[in-house]
Amino acid sequence: MLISAYLLSIGLMISLPPILAASLRRRFRLPWLLFCAGMLTFAASQAVHLPLNERLAEWGILPGAGRLDNPPLWQTALVAGLTAGLCEELARAAGFALLRRYRALEHGVMLGLGHGGLEAMVFGGVMVAATFSALLPLSGSDLQALPLLPEQRQTLELQLNTLLASPWNAMLPLLERLIALGLQVIFSVIVLQAFSPTGSKYNRLRGAGYILLAILYHTTVDAAAVWLLAKNLNPWLLEGAFALCLLPGAAWLFWRFTSSPPAIHSAAPLAQEWAVFLAALRKEFLQQWRTRRILVVAAVFGLFGMASPLMAYFTPQLLGLIPGGEQFASLVPPPSVADAFAQYHKNITQFGFLLAVLLGMNAVAGEKESGTAALILSKPMNRWAFIVSKFVTQASVYLGGLLLAMIGAGSYTAVLFEASDWNVWLSASALLYLWLLPFVAITLLGSVIGATTSVAAGAALAGSVALLLIGSLPAASSFFPGALSGWAAQLGAGTPPQVWNGGALAATLVLCLVCLLFAIAIFEQQEV
Amino acid sequence: MEDAVLMSPPAEAAIRCEGLTRYFGEVKAVEELELSVPRGSIFGFLGRNGAGKTTTIRMLAGLAHPTRGKAWICGIETTNADSSARRTFGYLPQSPAFYSWMTPLEYLTYCGRLFGLSASELRQSISQTLELVGLETASRRRIGGFSGGMIQRMGIAQALLHNPPVLLLDEPTSSLDPAGRYEVLELISRLRGRVTVFLSSHILADIERVCDHVAIIRAGRLVLVSERDDLLSRYAVSAVEIEVEPENHPLPERFLAALRSQPWVAEVSQDQLVLRVAVSDQEAARRQLLPLALEFGLIIRRYEWVRPTLEEIFLKVSA
Repeated sequence: MLISAYLLSIGLMISLPPILAASLRRRFRLPWLLFCAGMLTFAASQAVHLPLNERLAEWGILPGAGRLDNPPLWQTALVAGLTAGLCEELARAAGFALLRRYRALEHGVMLGLGHGGLEAMVFGGVMVAATFSALLPLSGSDLQALPLLPEQRQTLELQLNTLLASPWNAMLPLLERLIALGLQVIFSVIVLQAFSPTGSKYNRLRGAGYILLAILYHTTVDAAAVWLLAKNLNPWLLEGAFALCLLPGAAWLFWRFTSSPPAIHSAAPLAQEWAVFLAALRKEFLQQWRTRRILVVAAVFGLFGMASPLMAYFTPQLLGLIPGGEQFASLVPPPSVADAFAQYHKNITQFGFLLAVLLGMNAVAGEKESGTAALILSKPMNRWAFIVSKFVTQASVYLGGLLLAMIGAGSYTAVLFEASDWNVWLSASALLYLWLLPFVAITLLGSVIGATTSVAAGAALAGSVALLLIGSLPAASSFFPGALSGWAAQLGAGTPPQVWNGGALAATLVLCLVCLLFAIAIFEQQEV
Repeated sequence: MEDAVLMSPPAEAAIRCEGLTRYFGEVKAVEELELSVPRGSIFGFLGRNGAGKTTTIRMLAGLAHPTRGKAWICGIETTNADSSARRTFGYLPQSPAFYSWMTPLEYLTYCGRLFGLSASELRQSISQTLELVGLETASRRRIGGFSGGMIQRMGIAQALLHNPPVLLLDEPTSSLDPAGRYEVLELISRLRGRVTVFLSSHILADIERVCDHVAIIRAGRLVLVSERDDLLSRYAVSAVEIEVEPENHPLPERFLAALRSQPWVAEVSQDQLVLRVAVSDQEAARRQLLPLALEFGLIIRRYEWVRPTLEEIFLKVSA
């Protein structure tokens, strides 16, 4: 029950922002560009905000880890609130300054949803998943045995108590993120008021006033949150107080919408949009079959799956057959199931990655280049359906390929070594599959960005390599898909401790979602 | 805009553009296009290469974004990325491209599903459309092996599949041989009155043959819109061509001198056996020209009041 409640809460924190945006898009015919611009303003603000807070902590203006002379609470609350307000509202203002075509209230709401949406996905979904998966194994264990400082142990106890007290507590972070999402929408609409169509001196002053107001509002809310959090209040009471901060802004937003309501667009019925998506999906599967891509994926995955235990088993013997290699053959330890799995892991990560890039790079670019996209997009084909159908198809084909690889590898391992633990093979393959998905999504994004297949290939490869490089940084490694590959390797090797990395799982899903949203947003703006 | 005529009130128009403009950097591909296409017409959109015909059609189809301005088809805006507007028209690009691994049957089924046609509607519509374009026997062959003419007919089939009230055809005959051109033009003619056809081309003979309305675009600007017959009569020059039998060659100098001395004759020119007489007074010419020729013993093979070709008008207007 507890796990289900947390899974639901995490799932909603990740999926609700795009679902709300999709509904807003249909109602007011808004582009996904605004949602993605909001995500970018959030990312840009954090790129300044987080290092700024670190520097302020070094200077003693904000509390720092292991410091004895931490500043007073009022100062911490005020400075933390002010840095958040300044960084986020100025980033938002920069976003609106660049998006000159979008000045309506609903545009502000969409950008706010993107800004608060990414915050909910990362600081909500990913963080809660990471915390929950890290804390859950500790429930019922003796915390005194852990090598922690007394205050760290106290914090851990408090977190565990909150976590385990009731499944309803799983909804606390969701509630908090929903309130924050509402606030981000309000801040966005306030900042949007700064951008008046006429550039008179009065309007410029008025505009600066709105940005200042948004900064002050943001500062007040964040400062109050820091203050109340330090008071160790009942978490529900804390969320109630947080919700009170939302009220004045919500009332103002309601007044703005009722005084000048935006035009409501009569969108095609939702069922019609899904019917189009299903038609596109059907075509994509047919294409995968007719162009033999399914066979290529099945052959490559199947072959390398089967070959993995064979290579592990015969490597010492092959080494022995090489002239002069006999002396080394005796040095190689007898092959084991772990070696078979290590070979499987290596093959899948290498060839899976290559296949994802090679087979996916022309998915959209190829259609743009040949002109097939222009003809299809002149029909009632939604651009989201065009993109998502390609992702779902590719993801399904790789799933089938990986299943084949797993069956081949597991079966040959059972024949050559000992009976396979299918749970381990299944879990590890599921992790490897999830590891592969971001590369499929990044390649699709590259294919949208590139006007030709070669440019798309370059963009996809650059994006994938960037993902691998960022994932190898110590600070980010546990939240990037690379952690899933490491987790799979650990499972196969049977190395303890087998700890769930919920953060990496959630981050991988968020990464795929963000790539897909950007692909749709960019494709919507493109001429074909 | 010279001679621009709005042919019907906007509410009745099948296609309407208001200030439709598209710049590519400094290049003004289409500028302030104001157009109203009457329902049921076959509307020829003429222009030299690079005049802005394709850009206009792509904006109408929602594939290119206008720099400013709007366009509507059957009253639904098509320039705002609204996918529902795409049910109102069928679009054939200049070089239609299909999935080479598909058969016409599969491609049309796919298109029909995008339009939400039911299985029975789809079967009926595909069968009718393939018959109309003459691809029934090739319906299960891969499109990848089709000739240029078959591809073009396939393009018309996909545009007509959902029975749209408006067809946007971008240079539909430019890549076809004479037989293919004839077939496609016949097909378009058969749609007259049932479907509004917006047809861009630089092949003037095609436009003159099938279109009942004509617009000419020059360097992104609309320079002329009119009904075809109005246009031809408006630009008609008052001239007569007389072709004589070879034994009358060369024409008697006395006859030419007498002709030039007539007060209703503006200009006389001769090309072998054909005499062209531009007149200033049609009535006087009708009464006196033939008797004068007979008086000098000319044997007349052909006597014809000259009608200008669309090509002459096009060259005059688009120069």
